Amino acid sequence: MKKSPLEWVQSFIKRWEFVLFLILVFEFIAFGAKNHKFLIPTVLFSSINDIISICIISLFVTFVMITGGIDIQAGAIVGLTSIITGVVWQDAGVNIWIACLIAIFAAALCGALSGYFIAYCGVQPMVVTLGGSFLYSGLALLVSKLSATESYKGISGFPESFAQIAKFKLFDVIPSQLIIFFILIVVAYGLLHKTKYGRKVFLVGVNAHAAEYSGINSRLVILSTYMLSGVSAAIAGIVLTSYLGTAKSDIGATFTLPIITAVVLGGTLSTGGKGSIIGTALAALVIGILRFGLPLCFKINTQYLDIPVGLLLLVVVISRSLAGNQKVIRFFRGVSPMRKKSL
Amino acid sequence: MNSVKNLFKIRELTSFLFLIVLFLLVGSVNASFLSPTSLLNCFNDSVVFTLLASGIAFVIFTGEIDVSIGATLGLSAAVSSSMLRDGSNWGAAVLAGLLTGILVGVINGFGVSILGIPSLIFTLGTNGLIRGMIYVYTNGAWVENLPSAFTKLSKMKLVGNLTVFYTFVIVLIILAHFILTRTHKGKYFIAVGDNAAGAALVGIPVVKTKMISYILCGVFAAAAGIIYSSRIGFITPTAGNGYEMKAIAACVLGGISLTGGLGSLIGASIGAVIMSSVSRILVFLGFSSDYDNTITGVLLIAIVVIDAVSQNHAAVKNRHTRLAARTAVGEAGKGGDQD
Repeated sequence: MKKSPLEWVQSFIKRWEFVLFLILVFEFIAFGAKNHKFLIPTVLFSSINDIISICIISLFVTFVMITGGIDIQAGAIVGLTSIITGVVWQDAGVNIWIACLIAIFAAALCGALSGYFIAYCGVQPMVVTLGGSFLYSGLALLVSKLSATESYKGISGFPESFAQIAKFKLFDVIPSQLIIFFILIVVAYGLLHKTKYGRKVFLVGVNAHAAEYSGINSRLVILSTYMLSGVSAAIAGIVLTSYLGTAKSDIGATFTLPIITAVVLGGTLSTGGKGSIIGTALAALVIGILRFGLPLCFKINTQYLDIPVGLLLLVVVISRSLAGNQKVIRFFRGVSPMRKKSL
Repeated sequence: MNSVKNLFKIRELTSFLFLIVLFLLVGSVNASFLSPTSLLNCFNDSVVFTLLASGIAFVIFTGEIDVSIGATLGLSAAVSSSMLRDGSNWGAAVLAGLLTGILVGVINGFGVSILGIPSLIFTLGTNGLIRGMIYVYTNGAWVENLPSAFTKLSKMKLVGNLTVFYTFVIVLIILAHFILTRTHKGKYFIAVGDNAAGAALVGIPVVKTKMISYILCGVFAAAAGIIYSSRIGFITPTAGNGYEMKAIAACVLGGISLTGGLGSLIGASIGAVIMSSVSRILVFLGFSSDYDNTITGVLLIAIVVIDAVSQNHAAVKNRHTRLAARTAVGEAGKGGDQD
């Protein structure tokens, strides 16, 4: 059934994405009113460099969380791909683009390994990816030792064509990172909301047994989501390496918590079965703009930025829980009086 | 019931045996590792992780998680060591540090057990908040120049080479272990984690138990922070960064199930010893400490995968035995396998 534009707007207003959109608009108004520099496109777009990795990875970690899993190894894979690209290019003398492909392949392999343990051995996703975050960041450090360059310096001096990934600007305004982000949003949106594969991901998250009985290879679906998030971490790693101009083994170390924050803020249920790409993308932008705008417009020390991001997450989850609580309370009053006693 | 009890014992025993095998293997390569001083140092150095892991174990028993303990450690360390630096009373400084931990625990417990927000998400939020508070409190500067009497405390030996801190922690954990396994209220933690709905039905206060577990976790993390400041002697704003993941890993190594309801504090402290010994073991094996994270990751994944596979195998085998027994009696048609 096709919806008319008006109906579409009405249904959109009721959705979580609309709230995120309002928060984003509010941020723009507040920051823009305080400091007009904020709204200058070149200034605004320059902020994308700091948040692009989190934006890209959170899109695909959404897949993982919809299946009811969690991925805390993506940050480690970012560092691993960065250093693999650097070492394969500099010390093995391979073409930079082939080095990127090798890095992406390695990341997919890392994702597949963790995914295999989760899907086929039945280990909790949190534990495996926790181990994965140690393992892959450790491997990244070992790979960096293969290089002639000392690891704390990082590998630099990449060819100009590779540096163009982050430098290129469409119409001299829109940075290529933004274009990559939009392409990936379209890819992820199409994959999750428009294909059979996406429906399978949702069904596995709602009820893995039901999915299995309806002929879906739920294990393979779960494994594939970890591969997807691994590949997205590789893309983020390559873009970040191109922007920084150096390949280092630890550039993704602090990404884990912002990524999960973005996915959760985007409305994905941590228990699985619910979530949307647009929500995640908007939430990643909300966090990114907040981290960029507060120091620029309100002179807040960048070291304090964990506070507003943490507060935002807490306020959002608490208010969502309270908003949904009326139903929960009524439900529990009807079903069992025990609930009140246990409080 | 007996078999369940045995399972608990076996899980601890496995990690303990693993620890012994690990130590013997390292000892066979480099015999000086097995000298009493060296072995005791493995235990002494694990004191911060032992406290952190046993603290978070309470929360994990109830089936929840707390990723804010690293930040809690940093904040309480900053609070109490800055008070010590400014010449305040030791008792007051320690108390202030512990109160910080209690406060964090109350906030986490409120969000998770009363508001019912998924624990990973809520503690992720408080983690950011607390980490930021450390910067606000210290202005981003290091807390240095602690009184030397305080830093010397960490080097004080009691019996043989055992430090006072580790002895204190071990006594505390053994005491807590007996409370958890021998008293009614102590068993609530495991019961809630095993089956929250069932626990509520038999009259166990689920919300209160979870609340207490978070407060205990906060206090343990705060105590770890105070010991940390005595051992290190200065506090940076990033103190304890990533310790939450290592504490969770220690719990897993110690045979605690992250889904709750399974494991023991003794297991957590054994896991903490394994966890913190990795870099020491590497030195004795002649590897550089660059292998630290790789080995930790491999250990963690190997242990949980072996555990999961063997449990699945046992479950399948049990089901087959039951099915075979039922078919033999001729009840196979009655309702199928209820497993």
